[in-house]
Amino acid sequence: MLKILIPTLMLIPTAWGAPAKWLWPTTLAHSLVIALISLTWLKNMSETGWTSLGLYMATDPLSTPLLVLTCWLLPLMILASQNHTALEPLNRQRMYITLLTSLQFFLILAFSATEVIMFYVMFEATLIPTLIIITRWGNQTERLNAGIYFLFYTLAGSLPLLVALLLLQNSTGTLSLLTLQFSDPLQLTSYADKLWWAGCLLAFLVKMPLYGVHLWLPKAHVEAPVAGSMILAAVLLKLGGYGMMRMIVMLDPLTKDLSYPFIIFALWGVIMTGSICLRQTDLKSLIAYSSVSHMGLVVGGILIQTPWGFSGALILMIAHGLTSSALFCLANTNYERTHSRTMLLARGLQMVLPLMTAWWFIASLANLALPPLPNLMGELMIITSLFNWSWWTLALTGAGTLITASYSLYMFLMTQRGPIPAHMIALEPTHSREHLLMALHLLPLVLLMLKPELIWGWAY
Amino acid sequence: MADYREAPLASRPKTLDPNEYFNLSPNHRRSEEDRAALRANLKRQYQTQLNNPHRKELVEDPALTRWVYARANPYLTFKPTFKTSLMGAMFGVVPLFVLYYVFKTDRDRKEEQIKAGTLERKFSLSS
Repeated sequence: MLKILIPTLMLIPTAWGAPAKWLWPTTLAHSLVIALISLTWLKNMSETGWTSLGLYMATDPLSTPLLVLTCWLLPLMILASQNHTALEPLNRQRMYITLLTSLQFFLILAFSATEVIMFYVMFEATLIPTLIIITRWGNQTERLNAGIYFLFYTLAGSLPLLVALLLLQNSTGTLSLLTLQFSDPLQLTSYADKLWWAGCLLAFLVKMPLYGVHLWLPKAHVEAPVAGSMILAAVLLKLGGYGMMRMIVMLDPLTKDLSYPFIIFALWGVIMTGSICLRQTDLKSLIAYSSVSHMGLVVGGILIQTPWGFSGALILMIAHGLTSSALFCLANTNYERTHSRTMLLARGLQMVLPLMTAWWFIASLANLALPPLPNLMGELMIITSLFNWSWWTLALTGAGTLITASYSLYMFLMTQRGPIPAHMIALEPTHSREHLLMALHLLPLVLLMLKPELIWGWAY
Repeated sequence: MADYREAPLASRPKTLDPNEYFNLSPNHRRSEEDRAALRANLKRQYQTQLNNPHRKELVEDPALTRWVYARANPYLTFKPTFKTSLMGAMFGVVPLFVLYYVFKTDRDRKEEQIKAGTLERKFSLSS
């Protein structure tokens, strides 16, 4: 664990000490080496399930894919931010990289925490660098509103979680995940216990986000700069999913009855946010709502508490992380050229940038869960386990799949096909950096097709 | 008649065609000429920007900006009328209750079958 954490911390002095010409290549190389070392976590040889077991941190097959995704994303974020920060003073660039690194550090600690309070503290700590990235480096005045929504929605959801965790600590004496999973089921009979159940899960539902409390997500994703959007879509949403999967083990007999409203919100949210995607004019907003839609499926998969549901949820989280981040990078390539997120203004790009169209195509196909990509594997496992839970869910999930396919194709056709606007001139050709960025996003996705056992979680 | 002279090589708009003039009132003709002058001015601004050799960015269309802003901020112009309340109820409130009823009765039926022992549950190693 320390062989990843110490290099991540040392990335901060690297960012501040590197000479100006070598800042971005150095930090990129450093973070890429950390990402490659983090791949060693995938080898799970332990019989108890917990690898790299330390006093406060450990990895298990549930947290390892998310940790590797987090570490993989840092070089991609640095690669994506290089262009739009090039015009800023050097110290601000160093600050930006420092914020990204500190976010990475908190995320690694969060996913590898064995003590739930440590997970909670890191869960909250990730809010601060993200807030600074959104409100300082966003591009429109709406970024302030977006930062407020982001911060206060998440905080309001997680304060009950703090109370619930302290109550749990009082009653069970420990909050270590290593032992909590084997403790006796709690006596949860009174009305206050039902509130405790809701308090445990509300923070994660807001973070996922669940459909009713998802308003912060389109704002935050749209107003953030590209690295902020990438880390939000790829990893921060998954913090909610991971937290739910850890906590739900302890909440057992109540979940059978109390989870109905949330499953309903999640499934109805898949359809509603998918339909909203078809009406969006703003490209990043479309990708943000598609994130809500996919995460609705993940919430449904987690709340029914079956092995396939959990597995499917984890697979979909990883695959969606890579796909969504790739789509945000593509939207950023558009934004850097036209300085507008409106889809109408950046049409017909297939004629102008045909190689980028290839990346758009693959990313859109991944978003609509084309077989044999892991997106389909996750979605199919969740859909079948929901079908096993109740046949009627198939109506919602089937319609959701259809709507997902239609808005993914809509996004592709709108940006790539059709006539180019008459007044669009001087589009820069695609940089190799952008090709590299897209390749690094989609190559892991394609490789995961060949060995999906890595992301099956506990079911492996 | 009017002192409108179109640019060389441009055609005269239909509203200012002298062959159409005979049944139009002078007021109407004047207002049509004013509108044509405004349109011509806008076209000229656009053409200037379009053909500017030093331009690198897109030509900004204020109407498009307003439209995108309106599409992105619907709550500013939202008014609760009968139709919008019905839409909100039909798509936002009623489905939740309907789905709760559907899932609850389905799951309760399954639970009764399990308790009665009539539900056939084949063994599957993973599910």
